[in-house]
Amino acid sequence: METLAVLVVFLPLLGAILSSVLDHRSSQAVTCGLMALAAIFASILFVKVGLQEKTLLIPLFTWIHVEFFEVSWGLQVDSLSLVMMAVLTLISFLVHVYSVGYMKGDRSIPRFMAYLSLFTFFMLTLVTAPNFLQMFFGWEGVGLCSYLLIGYWYDRESANAAAMKAFLVNRVGDIGFVLGVLTIFVLFGTVDFLSVFELVEDYKDETFTFFGGHYHALTLATLFFFVGAMGKSAQIGLHTWLPDAMEAPTPVSALIHAATMVTAGVFLVVRISPLLEYAPLAREFITLIGAVTALMAATIACVQNDIKRIIAYSTCSQLGYMFMAAGLSGYSASMLHLTTHAFFKALLFLSAGSVIHAMSDEYNIQKMGGIWKYVPLTYVLMWIGSLALAGIPFFSGFYSKDMILEVDWVSNLPVGKVAFVFGISAAVLTAFYAWRLLLLTFQGAPRADEAVMSHIHESPLIMLIPLMVLGAGSLFSGYVLYDLFVGESTSFWGTALFVLPENEVIGAAHHVETWVKWSPILATLVGIGLAYYLYVFAKSWPERLSIAFSTVYTFLLRKWCFDEIYDWIFVRPSLKLAKVLWKEGDQKMIDGLGPNGVAALSVAGGRLLCRFQTGYVYHYAFAMIIGLVLMIGCYFWL
Amino acid sequence: MGGAYLPDLTLVLPEGILVVTAFLILMTGVFRKSTNPQVQQRFGHVALSGLIVALGALIFYHHPAERWISFEGQLLQDDFVYLGKILILSGSAAVVGISLASMLKEHLLSFEYCALILLATVGMLLMVGANDFLSLFMGLEIQSLSLYVLVALKRDQTIASEAALKYFVLGALATCFYLYGASLMYGFSGSTNFEAIATIIRMESAGNFPLSLFMSLIFIMASFSFKISAVPFHMWTPDVYQGSPTPITAFIAATPKIAAMLVFLRLMLEPFMTLYDEWQSLVAFLSLFSMVLGAFAALRQTDLKRLLAYSAIGQMGYMLLGVVAGTDEGIQAVLIYLTLYLVMIIGTFACLLCLRGKGSYGVQNIEDLAGISTLHPKVSFALAIFMFSLAGIPPLGGFFAKLYIFKAALSAGFFGLAIAGALASVVAAYYYLKIVKVMYFDDAPKVPSASYGQIVVLPLKMALILNACALVTLLFFVFPNPILEIVQRAAFTFSG
Amino acid sequence: MTTTTLIFYILSGVLLSSAVMVVTTKNTVYGVLFLILAFFNAAGLFILAHAEFLAMILIVVYVGAVAVLFLFVVMMVNMETKKSQRMDRRYLLMGIFVGGVLVLELVVVFMSWNTSPEAFELIFAPQDGLSNTHALGALLYTHYALIFQAAGLILLIAMIGAIILTLRQRENVLKQKIGDQLARQAKDSVQMVDISPTSSFRNLESLDDSATPRGRTSRVS
Repeated sequence: METLAVLVVFLPLLGAILSSVLDHRSSQAVTCGLMALAAIFASILFVKVGLQEKTLLIPLFTWIHVEFFEVSWGLQVDSLSLVMMAVLTLISFLVHVYSVGYMKGDRSIPRFMAYLSLFTFFMLTLVTAPNFLQMFFGWEGVGLCSYLLIGYWYDRESANAAAMKAFLVNRVGDIGFVLGVLTIFVLFGTVDFLSVFELVEDYKDETFTFFGGHYHALTLATLFFFVGAMGKSAQIGLHTWLPDAMEAPTPVSALIHAATMVTAGVFLVVRISPLLEYAPLAREFITLIGAVTALMAATIACVQNDIKRIIAYSTCSQLGYMFMAAGLSGYSASMLHLTTHAFFKALLFLSAGSVIHAMSDEYNIQKMGGIWKYVPLTYVLMWIGSLALAGIPFFSGFYSKDMILEVDWVSNLPVGKVAFVFGISAAVLTAFYAWRLLLLTFQGAPRADEAVMSHIHESPLIMLIPLMVLGAGSLFSGYVLYDLFVGESTSFWGTALFVLPENEVIGAAHHVETWVKWSPILATLVGIGLAYYLYVFAKSWPERLSIAFSTVYTFLLRKWCFDEIYDWIFVRPSLKLAKVLWKEGDQKMIDGLGPNGVAALSVAGGRLLCRFQTGYVYHYAFAMIIGLVLMIGCYFWL
Repeated sequence: MGGAYLPDLTLVLPEGILVVTAFLILMTGVFRKSTNPQVQQRFGHVALSGLIVALGALIFYHHPAERWISFEGQLLQDDFVYLGKILILSGSAAVVGISLASMLKEHLLSFEYCALILLATVGMLLMVGANDFLSLFMGLEIQSLSLYVLVALKRDQTIASEAALKYFVLGALATCFYLYGASLMYGFSGSTNFEAIATIIRMESAGNFPLSLFMSLIFIMASFSFKISAVPFHMWTPDVYQGSPTPITAFIAATPKIAAMLVFLRLMLEPFMTLYDEWQSLVAFLSLFSMVLGAFAALRQTDLKRLLAYSAIGQMGYMLLGVVAGTDEGIQAVLIYLTLYLVMIIGTFACLLCLRGKGSYGVQNIEDLAGISTLHPKVSFALAIFMFSLAGIPPLGGFFAKLYIFKAALSAGFFGLAIAGALASVVAAYYYLKIVKVMYFDDAPKVPSASYGQIVVLPLKMALILNACALVTLLFFVFPNPILEIVQRAAFTFSG
Repeated sequence: MTTTTLIFYILSGVLLSSAVMVVTTKNTVYGVLFLILAFFNAAGLFILAHAEFLAMILIVVYVGAVAVLFLFVVMMVNMETKKSQRMDRRYLLMGIFVGGVLVLELVVVFMSWNTSPEAFELIFAPQDGLSNTHALGALLYTHYALIFQAAGLILLIAMIGAIILTLRQRENVLKQKIGDQLARQAKDSVQMVDISPTSSFRNLESLDDSATPRGRTSRVS
């Protein structure tokens, strides 16, 4: 089993390395093959280890060893990481296969495949990390791959800008992560998960004192980690990079910016559940942020026109749901939603990719419409994805979203009820924008020009097969995993998750009032109905509404003006400051006095010394005599 | 005084072999037509085999860890001298190996060249083996006279004649210093033997040494500073390096420097060790000035050989830093530095010698190397290795040489000097890297000058030597033990 | 002793002053003559120290050979006794300053001079019944055999140097070299060439050029 786990992690790395030396066809074959193997191994592991409720701890080798401080590379395979591994390798494999079709004709396919595989490797090291430091390694690694993939079409200026933005915004989060690791280290003297989690009970009342205030250590640490998670999982405030990241090729958006990497933040929060349990303040904060993000992103998604951006905001919003549940100790509900979301969001993205592909690279849904006849399979799959997303009963999203909302309701944290209200409102909007997308894209009269319409075609089979697999996942994953993950008597999670008895919500969530159980479905139906009303029966209304509430509309269209505010607060002042520091500080002061000044001085010194080298032999002899006299004089003097 | 008297002649067997070979070459050379290049090359091979046989004899007859004295105490051989002789013999052999082809190309190869190299080597062997101011003087003179003549070999060229004249006049001045110092020493001690002098100095009460002793010390130091071209006795170096034909520059840069440095080390540590407190500040100044001048004055040089001259001045400064330390560690550092310096400098000159312009000119200016990395990737790679190593970039040999020196200086408490040395090496890195930059990043000239290195003449011998030097420089950090062991044993002769 | 002392001072005085004249005089012939005078006085000093062999050698070698050679050179080269340019004031001042410092330093050294007793005994040659020549020979060929040989090498190198720097093999001078002529063999000079009827004269010419080493034709013929 150990070998299998090691293989799962390192096969993608092997693929990445190999494909960097292969040509495009063999690199596709190699990376897909290795990913398939990794996916198979991961599912074997899931069955053999995960379902047996075992935990594997595989040490690889020592990384840092400084006196009492030791960090090793290793793999920690428990049910939590196994869920991630299984989902990750499966979706990554599907995306690899899909990319073969989608990226056809691109110039540097081996590079693309290598990035994808490399990303998978980093993500796997992240989820299997036995300590915070290795997790940080994976964390940074996926950030790097994300940067590389967003900027994959490096000749597009917007892609470069988006890549840079993603990287920089993530840096803000990463600082939080690093501070979190440091806090943990200062508090516990170790960064190993197991040791830290064992010790946490003893340290639950520790406080740090600085600037005259006392701060609860665990709250501080978990909040730092959450800042990291916010960056990676695009929560409000640090979410601005995610929509821009849609500059990446669509398979990348599906894999990294929907199914896996962005859920790393959720994974982190779930991973540190033993710490969170003792930090209720942090949990409230997490819930609040999650709830606000869920609603905020959903409102923005309602007015966007770029097909991928809509789905991106939807991702943001769904991540908000996950944090909502995690903050209220419903870690397993969060994980369930993470899993189902991975399937249906990947499906949505890849279907959107299929649509874009069919529409000759058209992203604007206002210029689509009426194409369902031409791409029937994609249409059906998109429906499945949307149904799952909206949470129609028996589709996967239904189980997980319901669970989250029920957790919200039963939580004993005061913020739980707020989260419930936000969640229900977001659910209405979710259904609305999902159907708005569906209706505008596929139905009604065609709004694209003739040339585009004449080229519409269903995607090749190699793209459709992964879609169908994901469709199946979106249909059944919720039903299959519901009992395992959040069933009343499940012991699947074992020690991987930790919930204090007084915070227990999952059990209680199964016994809520009937109206609570029904309200999400009701909300969804309202949203769908609204969408149908506005975009099928009263087509002029959207226009009139946007004019009537133009302030609100613009506000939403501008994505709550986050970019503008950031630009005004951070970007411009820092650019100005940087310019001053660069021109005045670096070029004039440091370069002028430092490197350039010293260099000029050296050259001048060299020139001076060369002037002594006159070429006259009597000068040379004279120099020797002077040297002698000086040496003798030196002796007398000393 | 009467009676049968025969000194132990095996001690001078290597010298004897070299002298006999030189005579052989001179005798045959006179009677053979010297215009035939093949005959001339054969002389080169004879000289080369003479050097190798001498090396074999040296190794075969060496008694490790023993002080082997002959000629009534005028010559000695211990592990230190042994190391020195090995370096000198192999250095000379390598220089002959790399210079033959190029000397032929420049119509300079004559039998006198080979004979003079051999005789100069004899002089150097006598120098390092000397245990007496008289025998040291003889070795010194044999070596210097041969070098003067070698520099003047290209007598039709003004620059060479000028260089030879300068070298001769200034060398004579340095010899005067030496003689003056040695006679003062004789006047003070009544002996010319190193051991006797050491004993007599030791018997003087410390802090109450007579002034004449210091005079003598300073004069002798000055003369050897000239030989190792330490500032301010360095002025001849750039002119002589530039003026001499490149193969002869290679010779001057390699072995005489080693011999002079070894003798300097021996003088300071054996007869004058008791005066350590007095001479260390002087040597410290020599070292400091050499390091700084070697770094700065080379910045604006365009001529490759002039540049290497300043580089040599700087490198000598670093070695003097090890002498200043005066500890066992310092001696080892100097010896390691010397060994690696020999390897690097021979390698560098091998690269320069094998590159030729059209019309049989060797490369002269830095610009003559522009863009040759595409023309001759292997040679430029080797040259880049040597330049990086001379600049002291890890993990090449030159880095470790500097590292040992700085370590020794630091543990002996010369912090300021070590820091100055490190800073100087930063400045010096500029011109070493500039050569690499010119080779790799500059474009080849559209109309190459006559000395632009577009042709490579790389006979087997030269290729072997070049590869060996490059390998030693590259792999020193992997297998430092062979060198470290012999160096440790050599340094042990002073401390043990 | 007083006579000896007196003679010593006279000889030393003349020696020093003529040495100064050698350096300062403008006329090179005078310079060489002053040099000869200096040698003679030095020889006298040697005789005072009972080193008559050295005195004779000094006169024979230095006066008889070296100085006369100098004289010949000076006369043959016919150097103009040109007015040497006024010495730059800067150089003069600096020279005087540095020289003064050096002299000062040397004076300080000699103030505290002490000589070892062994060295002091060597002011005069030992009087142990042997002749000067005999004693020197006995030392040179035993104690100092190595150094004697090394000195021989030095002279050899000097000779090689002199020959290299002056000997010129003149080309294009018609001179009979019997050795070369006798050593000449058919294969060096005659070349068998197949000439096809179609080959042109031009080809033949170039062939001939490459076969004959340059310079030989002119020297031998």
